Amino acid sequence: MDPLTALAQFESEGLAAIAAATDAAALEQVRIQFLGKKQGRLKDLQSVVGKATPEERPVVGKRFNEAKDRVTEALEARLNEVAKPKIAATAIDLTLPGVPTDFGRLHPLTQTMREFREIMARFGFEVVDGPELEDEPHNFNALNIPLDHPARDPLDNFYLAAACTAHGKPVLMRSQTSTVQIRVMEHRPPPVRVISIGRVYRPDDIDATHHVMFHQMEGLMIGPDVTMASLKSVLKMFAAAYLGGDTEVRFRPSFFPFTEPSVEVDVRWKGGWLELGGAGVVDPNVLQAVGYNPEEVGGFAFGLGIARFCMLRHGIDDIRLFYQNDIRFLKQF
Amino acid sequence: MLVSWDWLKQYVALEMSVEELTDRLTMSGLNLEEYEAYGKDWVIDLEVTSNRPDCLGHLGVAREIAVLYDQTLKIPAAQPVSCSSPAAKQIAVRIDAPELCSQYHARVIRGVKIGPSPAWMQQRLQAVGIACVNNVVDITNYVMLECAQPLHAFDLDRLHGAQIIVRPAKKGEKFKAINQKEYELSPEMCLIADAQRPVALAGVMGGFDSEISDRTTNVLIEAALFAPLSVRNTARKLDLHSPSSYRFERALDPQGPDYASRRCCELILELAGGELCEGVVSAGETPAPSGPEISLRFARFQKVLGIDIPAETAIGILQRLGLEQIGTATAERATFRAPTWRRDLSREIDLIEEVARIYGYDHLSDDVAVPLCSSSKSQRERVVERIGETLTAVGFHEAMTAAFTSENEQQWFNPRPDVAALYVDHSSRRQENLLRRSLIPSLITCRRANERHGNFQAKLFEIAKVYLAADPDRIEHEVEPWQIGLVTGQSYLELKGVTELLARRIQPHGQLTVRPCDLPQFTPGRGAEVLWNGVRWGWLGELDRSVCDAADLRDVVCVAELDLQLAERNADLVPRAQKLPEYPGMVRDLNFVLDEPVLWSDLEQAVRSAAGPLLEQVQFASQYRGKQLGADKKSYVVTLTFRAPDRTLTSDEVDAAQAAVVKACESSLQATLRA
Repeated sequence: MDPLTALAQFESEGLAAIAAATDAAALEQVRIQFLGKKQGRLKDLQSVVGKATPEERPVVGKRFNEAKDRVTEALEARLNEVAKPKIAATAIDLTLPGVPTDFGRLHPLTQTMREFREIMARFGFEVVDGPELEDEPHNFNALNIPLDHPARDPLDNFYLAAACTAHGKPVLMRSQTSTVQIRVMEHRPPPVRVISIGRVYRPDDIDATHHVMFHQMEGLMIGPDVTMASLKSVLKMFAAAYLGGDTEVRFRPSFFPFTEPSVEVDVRWKGGWLELGGAGVVDPNVLQAVGYNPEEVGGFAFGLGIARFCMLRHGIDDIRLFYQNDIRFLKQF
Repeated sequence: MLVSWDWLKQYVALEMSVEELTDRLTMSGLNLEEYEAYGKDWVIDLEVTSNRPDCLGHLGVAREIAVLYDQTLKIPAAQPVSCSSPAAKQIAVRIDAPELCSQYHARVIRGVKIGPSPAWMQQRLQAVGIACVNNVVDITNYVMLECAQPLHAFDLDRLHGAQIIVRPAKKGEKFKAINQKEYELSPEMCLIADAQRPVALAGVMGGFDSEISDRTTNVLIEAALFAPLSVRNTARKLDLHSPSSYRFERALDPQGPDYASRRCCELILELAGGELCEGVVSAGETPAPSGPEISLRFARFQKVLGIDIPAETAIGILQRLGLEQIGTATAERATFRAPTWRRDLSREIDLIEEVARIYGYDHLSDDVAVPLCSSSKSQRERVVERIGETLTAVGFHEAMTAAFTSENEQQWFNPRPDVAALYVDHSSRRQENLLRRSLIPSLITCRRANERHGNFQAKLFEIAKVYLAADPDRIEHEVEPWQIGLVTGQSYLELKGVTELLARRIQPHGQLTVRPCDLPQFTPGRGAEVLWNGVRWGWLGELDRSVCDAADLRDVVCVAELDLQLAERNADLVPRAQKLPEYPGMVRDLNFVLDEPVLWSDLEQAVRSAAGPLLEQVQFASQYRGKQLGADKKSYVVTLTFRAPDRTLTSDEVDAAQAAVVKACESSLQATLRA
C-alpha cells in the first residue's frame, strides 16, 4: 500500500471510530487503537513513512502530521461532547405553564362605552353627565312628552316614593339619557355637540333580553346649519368607525315626542340591515323649552342602546350575564 | 296591526308584489314586522306608531298606499237608508262625565235577524285574528278594522229605561263583562249605564247581559270618543286589553264616530236586515269639521332636512295625504288645512316630516361636511380611566350592578346611616326597592355568586353612584355622589396597598393616612377612615365575620368605598419629572422593640422629626413578636435611607443622624434597639 493511501485510510477509519464511540471508555479504546504510542496504528504508519523515497518524504511527512492532528482533534472534541451530561443541570421543564399574573378586566359594557365615546370624540362630541334621579320637567316636559303620554305611566317608570322627594315634586329614576341634553341646553348657548352615556331604569320583567337597568348613548348636535343630512352623515361615520369599512345608513320614519322628523336608523351590516337606534331632528318645542330659537338654530339627536352592540360584538346571548359579574364571564373580555 | 291584502284591495288598487309594497310602507313609516300567506290572501303585520291611529284601520293603510303609488282611494259612502220612525223615541243619551267622553252617538236598528255573517266577512276577520260571533257583532268589528273607530252594539231590549248614561264608575261598583268575568271598578273609570246598571266599560268591553244574542231583534249602535288616558288606565288596571281599548288609547278622528256609525248601520241593513230608525241620538260636543290651518315655508326643507324639495312635489304629497290647500301657493309658502283623522298634524314641522317621509329619506345626502370642533376628555373621564387601568392591573375585575338594594342587604355595609334611604314605589319591587347608599352590598352579592361557582378569589370593583337625596337641582356630589367600591378576599394591608397605589396613580405626591373607624360592620379594630391629604376619602376595612355570615360568604372580605369627586379634585395626571439622584444613598436598618400600643405612624413620625435633613425615606421592613421580647412587646424593623444631593455621605454623618433617631425614639416612645 502506498503511504498516502494508508494515511487516508487511517484518517477515515479513525474519524469513523471516534464518531461511533459513545462514552469516554470507548474513546480511550479508540485512542489506543489509533494513536497509542505502543501498539497504535500510528506507530505502524511511522514505519511506512520511513520507507518513503527522499522525493516523496516531504509530502508524506506533511500528510502524516495532518492525519494525526485531525484524528487527535476529533478525539478531543468527541471526548468533550460525551463528557457533558445529557440534560444540563440548569435545564427546566420549558413546557410548564407560566406563573399566572393577576390581571383584571374592564366590564365589557365599559369597553363598548369607551369605544363609542372615543369614536364620537373624534367627531368633536364632548361627554356630559347628568343626574340619575330626575324630575318630570327634564325627563318628560322639556322633551315634549305630554301629560297624558303613556311614557309617563307610573307603572312604566321607577318613581321614588313621595316620602323621599324634596319639596314634594315627583322624582323618578331617569328613563332615558335625553334628560342630559335638556340640562346641557339650559346652561349653554348653541352651538352644542355632546353625547351622554349612562344608566337608565325602566320596570321590565328581567329575562335574556330585558333588564331594569340599561345603558344608553345619546347624542345631540345643535347649530345654525345642522340638518337631518348632517345626522345621516355623522351616523354613517360612526357606523363606519365602529363596524369598520364602508357602510351605508338608511332612515325609516318613526315617532318620538322629542324629535321631528323622527327615524329609526339602520346600517348595512353583513349583507343585511342592522338597527342602530332612534334619531331625528330636535323638535322645535324642545328647542323652545330650553330658550333656543328654532328659526335660528336646529339640530339632531340620536340614542342607542349599549348592551345590544356589546352582545352583538362579543356573541353574548343573555343580558343578565352583564350584571351577574361572574369572573368566568368578565375575564373573557 | 294586521292587515289583509285582499281587504286593502277594496279601497286601493294593488298592482305591486307584497314584498315591494311592504318595503315601500316600511320606508315611509309603516314598519313591516312580517307577512304570511293566509289561504289565497296575505296577512301583513305592520308596526303603527302611536301618533298614527288612522292606520289602525284598513282605510288608513290604503290611504298611505294610495299616496305612495298615486292611486285613487275608494271610501265606502256609508249612507244607510232610514225609516221614518225617529231613533229619539227609542233611546235617550246623556253624558255625565264630559272629561271622560267627549261625544256619544246612538243609532237604532229594529228587526234585525241575528245569524252568522257572510263568508267573505268571516274570512277577512279571521285573517286578521278576530273571532267571529254573529253578523251584528262581526260588523262592528269589521267597521273598526276598516276605519279604526271602535263601536259597540247593545241589545236594545236589554237596556232598562230606554236610556244611555255615560258616567264615572262608583267606587267598588261591580261589572260583568262579555268575557263573563266580574270586575270591581273605581271612579276614574268611565261606564256606559242604562237607567239601572252598568252595561259597558267605556271603550274597553261590553257588558255580559246586554250583548247581542241569537234572540236579539233590536240593536243600538254606540259610536263615541272616550278619553285616551282613562281608557288606557282602565284597561291596564283590570288587565283587560281589547282592540277597542288599544284604539281609544290614541287620539282618534273626532269625525270618526259619525262615519263609523253610518257605515255600521249600512252593513247591518245589508247583511242582517231590519230597519234603521231615523236620525242619530247624540250627546257631547259637535266635532270640528276640519283640522287646523298650517303654513308651510318651502325654504324650511333646506333648513331642516338639508335638501330642497320642489314646491309642487310637496304640495302634491300633502294633498294626497288629505290636506286641503287654502288659497294659492306663493313661491315661498302654501297653507293647508289638516284632515281630522290626522290629529298629529298641527305645525309646520309636522308637514315637513310628512313630505319628507313620502318623498323619501334616501334623498338625503350622507356626506355633508360637518365642521371641525375640538373636544377633550373631562377630568372625570381621565380619572375614571386611570382608576380602571390601575385596578385591573392589580387583578380587580370591574363589576356592574343595578342601583337597587334591599333592607336586608343594605345592612351589610352602611357607612352613611344618618342618611335616610330613598326607595321607589313600584309593584315590581317589593323587596329590592331601596336605592343604594353604598356600592359594597351589591359587590358582596357578586362576590357570593362567584363563591358559589367555586371561585373564591374574586376581586371586584365598581364605579357608580350612590343615592343620598332625591333632588336633581342640587349639586351632584351632595345628592348622588360617584363612588369607587372594592371587595376582595385579600387582607386589610393588601387592600390598603391597593388604595395607596390608587391614590399615588392619581396624585403622585399626595398623602394617604387612616384613622380608626367604628362602623359596626367592620371587624373591631380592623376598620378605618381613609384620609387623602387630611380630607376623608372613604372607608377601608375588614368586614366582621357576622356580616359575612349574614351575607352567606365563605371567606371574610375586605372592602373599601372611596369618593370619586375627591379623586377628581386631587388628580395630578401630568407629573413633573424629578431629577434622579447623582450621589449614592446610605441605608440603615434599625430594629426597635416597642410597646404594643405604639403605632407605626408614631414611630415614623418620631423618626422623621429626629433624623435631620439627610433623611430621604423611611420604610417599614418587617415586624416580630415572640417570647424573647416579652408580653405586649413587638419589634419593627425600619429602613432609613439617607442621601445628600451634592455629595457622597460619610459614615460619620449618617451615624450622627442615626444616633439622633435612636435617642428620639427611646425618649418619646420608650423604644429600645434590639441587639
